[in-house]
Amino acid sequence: MNDVGLLFAIFFGLCGAGAIGAFLVPERFTPALLATIAALSALLLLVGSGELLLGNGSLRIDLWSILSLGRLILGADRLSALFLFILGLVVFPVSLFSAFYLRHYIGHYNLRYFSVLYHALFASLVLVLIAGDAISFVIAWEAMSIASYLLVTYQYEREDSAQAAFVMLAMSELGTMAVEIAFILVAVHAGTFEFHAMRAIGPALGGGIKWAVLLLSFFGFAVKAGLVPVNSWLPLAHPVAPTNVSALLSAVIVNLGIYGIIRVNLDLVPIATPGAGIVVLVIGSISALFGILYATIQSEMKRLLAHSTIENMGIVAAGIGAAMVFLESHHEVAASIALIAALYHVANHSVYKALLFVGTGAVEAGTGTRDLDRLGGIARRMPWTSGLFLIGVLSIAALPPLNGFVSEWLTLQTILRSELLSSTLVKIIFAVCGALLALTAGLAVTCFAKVFAMGFLGMARSDGAARATEAAAPKQIPLALLAASCIALGILPTYVIPVLDRAAEPLAHASATAALVPPFFDTAAQQREGIPPKFLAEFHDLGSQVGDSVLPGRGLVVLHRGEARNPVVFAMSTSYTLVVLAVILGLSFLGFRLLTRERSVNRGPAWDGGLRRLFPGITYTATGFSNPVRVVFQAVLHPATTEDDTEAVARNFRAAIRREYTDVHIVDRLFLGPPVRGLRRIADPVRKMHVGHVNAYAAYILFTLLVVLIVGAL
Amino acid sequence: MTLSAIADTEPTDFAGLCESRWKGRVTAKLDAAACHVACEPPDLPAICEWLSEEMGYVFATLVVEEESKPGWLLTYVFYKDAATPWVYVELRLDARVTTVPSISGLANGPAADWHEREAEDLFGLSFAGHPRLGEFVLHEDWPEGVVPMRHSFDARRMLDIPEAPNPAWDPPTIFSAPGSFAMPVGPVYSDFGEAAHFLLETVGEDVVRTIQRFFYKYRGVEKISEGRPIDRVLLLAERFSGIAAFAHGLAFCQAVETICDVEVPPRGRALRTVFAELERLRHHVATIAGICNSTALVVATAQAALIEEDLIRLSCQVARHRYFFGAVVPGGVTCDLVEEHRQHLLTAVDEIAQRCEELHRMLRYSSSFLDRLEEVGIVSPDAAAAYGLVGPIARACGATRDMRKIRPYAAYATVDFMVPIEQEGDGYARLRIFFAEIEQSAAILHQILRALPAGEIRAPDIVARPGTALAAVEAPSGAAFHWVRLRDDGMIARYRITSPSFTNWHGFHIATENFAFQDFPIILASFGLSNAECDR
Amino acid sequence: MANWVLKGLRTRIKTSAYRSAAEAVSGLSPGQPRGVALPAHDAAALVERCPTRAIDSCEGGVAIDQRRCVDCFRCHADVEEPAVPWGDGYEWAAYADDVAAMRRKLGHAFGRSLHIRFLDAGACGACMSEARQLINPYYNMHNLGFFMTPTPRNADVLMVAGPVSDAMRLPLRITYEAMPTPKRVVAIGACAASGGVFGPSFAAGGGVAEIIPVDVVVPGCPPPPLAILHGLMVVVGRKPPSELISRPSNGEMSPE
Repeated sequence: MNDVGLLFAIFFGLCGAGAIGAFLVPERFTPALLATIAALSALLLLVGSGELLLGNGSLRIDLWSILSLGRLILGADRLSALFLFILGLVVFPVSLFSAFYLRHYIGHYNLRYFSVLYHALFASLVLVLIAGDAISFVIAWEAMSIASYLLVTYQYEREDSAQAAFVMLAMSELGTMAVEIAFILVAVHAGTFEFHAMRAIGPALGGGIKWAVLLLSFFGFAVKAGLVPVNSWLPLAHPVAPTNVSALLSAVIVNLGIYGIIRVNLDLVPIATPGAGIVVLVIGSISALFGILYATIQSEMKRLLAHSTIENMGIVAAGIGAAMVFLESHHEVAASIALIAALYHVANHSVYKALLFVGTGAVEAGTGTRDLDRLGGIARRMPWTSGLFLIGVLSIAALPPLNGFVSEWLTLQTILRSELLSSTLVKIIFAVCGALLALTAGLAVTCFAKVFAMGFLGMARSDGAARATEAAAPKQIPLALLAASCIALGILPTYVIPVLDRAAEPLAHASATAALVPPFFDTAAQQREGIPPKFLAEFHDLGSQVGDSVLPGRGLVVLHRGEARNPVVFAMSTSYTLVVLAVILGLSFLGFRLLTRERSVNRGPAWDGGLRRLFPGITYTATGFSNPVRVVFQAVLHPATTEDDTEAVARNFRAAIRREYTDVHIVDRLFLGPPVRGLRRIADPVRKMHVGHVNAYAAYILFTLLVVLIVGAL
Repeated sequence: MTLSAIADTEPTDFAGLCESRWKGRVTAKLDAAACHVACEPPDLPAICEWLSEEMGYVFATLVVEEESKPGWLLTYVFYKDAATPWVYVELRLDARVTTVPSISGLANGPAADWHEREAEDLFGLSFAGHPRLGEFVLHEDWPEGVVPMRHSFDARRMLDIPEAPNPAWDPPTIFSAPGSFAMPVGPVYSDFGEAAHFLLETVGEDVVRTIQRFFYKYRGVEKISEGRPIDRVLLLAERFSGIAAFAHGLAFCQAVETICDVEVPPRGRALRTVFAELERLRHHVATIAGICNSTALVVATAQAALIEEDLIRLSCQVARHRYFFGAVVPGGVTCDLVEEHRQHLLTAVDEIAQRCEELHRMLRYSSSFLDRLEEVGIVSPDAAAAYGLVGPIARACGATRDMRKIRPYAAYATVDFMVPIEQEGDGYARLRIFFAEIEQSAAILHQILRALPAGEIRAPDIVARPGTALAAVEAPSGAAFHWVRLRDDGMIARYRITSPSFTNWHGFHIATENFAFQDFPIILASFGLSNAECDR
Repeated sequence: MANWVLKGLRTRIKTSAYRSAAEAVSGLSPGQPRGVALPAHDAAALVERCPTRAIDSCEGGVAIDQRRCVDCFRCHADVEEPAVPWGDGYEWAAYADDVAAMRRKLGHAFGRSLHIRFLDAGACGACMSEARQLINPYYNMHNLGFFMTPTPRNADVLMVAGPVSDAMRLPLRITYEAMPTPKRVVAIGACAASGGVFGPSFAAGGGVAEIIPVDVVVPGCPPPPLAILHGLMVVVGRKPPSELISRPSNGEMSPE
């Protein structure tokens, strides 16, 4: 056991200590204890995984052998380390947030129980990522599933949480079963469940087995990642959990699905046909579109964020799919870029989704509601929370120079690289998926413009929103940390990409760092790179080498370098965008101040057409804002007016019109609805057997015995 | 209702028919003006229901009068067609009575709805069983207990209306759905809109229902007329709605002429017809310009606006004033048409009719324009009947009511014209009606101008005498009913104006249910109504 | 749509030359009564005959307060003597207040272009119809640099018609307050200038000046489009103002 191993040992020790410690202190100290220990563990995790990712450290611990099944191994490569790092990055601020958030449960729910579950979840998450064989992987996976199920049902008094958690558990177990079958299929050929053995025989497996493994494992992991058509549990379960758990569910647990897909389908059993990559790409693109479509029409913030998680996982899956296709057609650099884009998006999504969930928790604490139709105007009353939330909103809406933009831009650019491929059909599929992702990006702007405009600007639409109070400064720390991560990931992509490249390189069999963030601005290297000097000089003048002398890093421009004929395929720099934006905004502000220095500014209420007063009932609601999307995508959304109830006092005089809209998710309507209905049809008659008389059961037994005897006799 | 029963009903028989139907409960008396049916309050709803549902009558107006000897006289005016007498259902009440049964809840009751609400606001009478009473004419900022139409209220008294925003203001809405809200429109518009306020109840783009709020422009014309001489009130009658000044001035003059028994010379009558039709032409062209403007059809708007300005200039040339102010007086008109102007008018009207026809033809072939109008803002015939709608809007959904035919005045009995009719009741049907009426007006003008009688244009000065009369005139946007009661000294005792805009705005909400928000200006323009005419 | 373009082109330019040249087509304006020198008893008869007290006797005859005249023609047409003369023309707009102070105030606050917000404060519809004509091709105020704006936030000029009914007092005030400075108010029509035939009474006021300060008055009932255009030109100082009171001396006039 080396240093890193020691760190992990201390980590698990701390988790255990946290779980036990909760029983030793009075309940009112439980939140603080939980936050301290979990934050410490997260810091340990960050250090450990950072060491693995950046340094040359490695982790491999053989636990014990099981007869005929091989050894249980804990081990982490750089891919694991990357996911561990993201996990630590999210768990640290979310745990700090828990210190404040959990206080309102004191006296209502058992916090010790919560504490145990929280630490168990954290430990199982880490275990999944460092599992070195299929058995420990599945054990950790099940532990994680059960811990998250129990956390979703934590507020057991709420009816919706029990139902949602049940759907979550059922689908999750179905997925786990599929994954297990996939592992068994591989293990049969490898003779052991150890990953390194599987990795050794993976490429040599037959086409049929590969397809089976792909479909089973992709389906199984897609459940966790919330991809269509197995996404139904996600928008149900994420919103009903306690908000800190929602943040973990949406920001890190879904990542495990992605980790699983990459681990099995890129690492252990690499894909050999373009069709497999296409399946992942198409499902990813469709998930992205449906995710954002349903997010746009939500007005409950947590449900909206949950749907948007599906969208983001879809974008990641699309990136992975593209990587698979490129890999299969031996465009390793393109595959590497696609994989980097996908991993980048995983990191970005984790950070901003955690920020948005934690921000939602802060808004709910300040106003008592998460319904956008009942919020409004809180930017004035909660300026700090709103400002930090806005950073999350801008990030998830993929606006430069924040982090969402970098990874979505890279993903789209990579998909545009389909020109490298030879098959026309695949090119067309890439083009369509690119269009779907572009549409997704557009809708994401609409969706999150709605969140901020309707929730934070305008007039307060409920008493709670009107009386919103800003959270105390310490409560802003988790938000600030996450917002800072968003900004850092956004404006320093040239430092992030090489790190991601270290994780992606073994999978893509190529390093994209040189192609994406080439050091060719270094004048000495110019000739060697074979790029026209004039071109280099221009980039040099732009200052793209800045940073070289300050930090041992790259220039601040991301560009995909092609061959000499087409030296730069795509390029952008969020770092410079930030500078330019700051200069433009600063100059505009100064100019404005200069121009209006002499003038007095009168502030008045918004112009309302001369009404007696402007009141919230006559301002746009979130539902109203997104209604055009609802109308345009009617074919997908099928919003059904379930009730149109009209009251009249006399003929021609109506006193009230009430309307209720319900929309069933298209996946539930088309894919899950029919089988569930069919199952019910079978289950209903069978159910009668559960409530029969004793003699009926005796008759069943007799009948069964008879059948067995007859069959035996034959 | 049996059709034969109506056919058999001779005008002279109506009083008898009425008395036999309501044995002992009514007294019916037929005179030159109408069949007066006096009844007791409890019988009122039944009688009104009988008239409107079985006999096919249409509610015209409710006139509330506070009689000089303390007491109330409520006259419910019904009309049907040219062959049947008008019916005044009269309710005489003791001064202490404050509650009258409402007829608004009947099948065709909505026609009386606004009349009852107005009477409640202005007279302090309450209508028992009215489905929705509340602030109507007098907005909530008015001081409590002010009932301006009562004799005890001094019209010169300035009211203390707050000029600061009211933080308690919360207009009632009836639509509720998740995320529903109301879009306010007005009272100050983004264009040349007349002051009125609409709340569009919606969940986004689809508007479920429109709540209208008028009387921002209530100038108390009926109240300030009281106790004034005829010639002063004529100024008010002309100017309360400037774009239908001649029609309303004419209606007032006709009421006065009826009371004072004045015969208007034939040339005066012919000229009244000429002016009234010129005004109708101008109104309809302006409405068409508004419709084109609402659909952003720029050239068509400009073309219609050019025709409109040409018509206004024509009015100024023949009647001194661009809007016919001061053109009509009791007994005739004030300006004669010299031969040169007659010739000019004939050619000008022909030219304008031609230009309108060309515009109509071009609009008919502009599919993008028609798409905006067709099946937009539909008023069903049933709704038109229930709300007693009048004018082009009613004629666009199959109701032929036209006062020029039902009760011919001026020289309309001598000319041959038809009342255009359409069935669809949508914006396009209304547009076609406007164009068809332009054609008919041009035809009327042609006939009158070709055979303009010679002679005086106005009767000698009239001598005022006490009495009551109801004049009905087909104003450009529909039937206007002016009820005038003169005192012994010749001053106005009660002046009640029921304008077509008042009647038709009431039906506007029918056309604005479950529609797309962007159609709102189009529906508004296709109604072509005036708020000044409604609010008085 | 091509046929509409063709139709528009074939219609040619219809816009009035008013700005540089006088417009003299018949039917543009109903004209205005003018003050006239008359014997005292004739003057008294005229004063008696005017229903809106627009005619007042003055030294040597009668003076006409244009703000009160509602175009009833009872002092001029179709009547036996005495009658007041009727002038044509349309350059009627005048400063609402002391001329010198007004000139200082109006000064050069605006360039050559104005954005105008129209407000109906209980007008009968005729003033509004005339104001609407300003954007039709005949008057085409856009080519003079005048534009209608949908919100008072962008408006330089508030154009008000109507006597200000009770319910419109508040909207009028808040619209005025919503405008940025510098701002000007143009009252168009007899109602906006003096209450016209309606006010002051319980339901309507005696003009816009009772609620907000008025800068330029355009008399007339209704003022024809060119008179309103003249009013806007007066606001930007491109035309000299007229006088509100027409006196017999015919020319040398001073406001009340």
